Amino acid sequence: MIGTDGDIRKLSNAIAEMGGVAEANLSRALDALAKRDAALAAEVIQDDKRLDRMEKQVDELAVRILMMRQPMARDLRAVIAGLKIASTLERVGDMAKNTAKRAQILAEGPAHRSIGPVVRMGRQSLQQLTQALDAYANGDLELAQQVWRRDVEVDELYNSVFRELLTYMMEDPRTIGACAQLMFVAKNIERIGDHATFIAEMTNYVVSAEAPPPADDRPKAPLEAGFDELEESAASEGAASGGAKIE
Amino acid sequence: MTLTMENSVGAPAAQAAPRNDLKFACRGVNVHYGDAHAIKDLAIDIEDRLVTAFIGPSGCGKSTFLRCLNRMNDTIAICRVTGDLKLDGEDIYAPRVDPVQLRARVGMVFQKPNPFPKSIYDNVAYGPRIHGLTSNREELDELVEASLTKAGLWNEVKDRLDKPGTGLSGGQQQRLCIARAIATKPEVLLMDEPCSALDPIATDRIEQLIGELRSQFCIVIVTHSMQQAARVSQKTAFFHLGHLVEYGDTTDIFNKPRDKRTEDYINGRFG
Repeated sequence: MIGTDGDIRKLSNAIAEMGGVAEANLSRALDALAKRDAALAAEVIQDDKRLDRMEKQVDELAVRILMMRQPMARDLRAVIAGLKIASTLERVGDMAKNTAKRAQILAEGPAHRSIGPVVRMGRQSLQQLTQALDAYANGDLELAQQVWRRDVEVDELYNSVFRELLTYMMEDPRTIGACAQLMFVAKNIERIGDHATFIAEMTNYVVSAEAPPPADDRPKAPLEAGFDELEESAASEGAASGGAKIE
Repeated sequence: MTLTMENSVGAPAAQAAPRNDLKFACRGVNVHYGDAHAIKDLAIDIEDRLVTAFIGPSGCGKSTFLRCLNRMNDTIAICRVTGDLKLDGEDIYAPRVDPVQLRARVGMVFQKPNPFPKSIYDNVAYGPRIHGLTSNREELDELVEASLTKAGLWNEVKDRLDKPGTGLSGGQQQRLCIARAIATKPEVLLMDEPCSALDPIATDRIEQLIGELRSQFCIVIVTHSMQQAARVSQKTAFFHLGHLVEYGDTTDIFNKPRDKRTEDYINGRFG
């Protein structure tokens, strides 16, 4: 296929490929966490470079399309959304990588009871991501809507995992190290759910020309009373230093 | 008034209340060239003091319709125009309307700059002279200067007004033609692909000029450049096979057109 159609097709194929790598990396990072497999975690960390390269390729292709085709309407939206989704997937990759790094650390210590629930939460996020990418690839508004509404479930899982980890830490201070790692992993996974939501919003934007709603309008699970402040500070910690320290 | 399905999409009834006064109100317009049906039952309202762009593939009827607006089609023997075309509420095809007077009110700028083989001064003074708009040389001088200034050309030509207009560059010639068109103090400026023979710099100059003139005139521009239509116009009408397929705010037409044909055309998929 040639012309504008061909270029747009190339762009969405590149995104689909990126999405595939991001999904695989997240899935393997979760496996590494569940099976305490440091070697697998190392592979994921190595593979993240591929996503970075792919994002660059999508950027270059998008700029080329804008320059040569000067697309309008849906094509223009497809290019804008493509750029945003590529950078979102790159960030999902970073979070998978960060999860893998923490899996390496956790593999050195004893097994922890909370790994199971965190991995289950991760699988839920992964499913959200897969469906968001499917909805994007097929322009499926209904599926995009479902993904958008279901992010609440990941949020709820996150709240309960958070509570569980706090309880363990209070019960036995020797688990604080492992629980703190898991808390950051859970936060990563919760963020990946948000990214899946964003991809669903971009799909809606491409297909129906509706601007994405303000982030406040997204369905959200209410934080449990008393946990708000803790959660907030953990979240900013996670964004500011939690990820960076381990890089 | 009955509208076909084709036209109901872009019919004024479907639009929000106009922001400006209406300049043209057209209903049930049909144009035939001999047996060829070039414009099919077209209805459109064109607002004053903004830029309306006509877009569509070659042969879609946009230029034909543009030329109906100042009766340029009268000069084509086989061309037959029927329907209601009202300028400020007056039927411009009524027998008592003098096409020459009409064209003084509705000026036109063409694709290829076409200055008369006369001096720069005489090119601009030609219209005012034949319409007797000024009573002495001084007034005419003033009008020529004012028109060239409005067309953004005065500073470049004020020292060589007696030199031939054909000696100017393409972009300057086009601005000279705009000066000539506005010298008769028209209310409407029709522009038929005014930049397609110009380089990007001259194009930018003309587009800026269109932006400036917009506050004083009703401007209708035919263009094959989607980006140009998006840049200069506030309203856009998409023509296809003699039909007005879609008409609305330019931002809507280029962001979320309602008709698949519009979407395909603005992305260069047919035409």
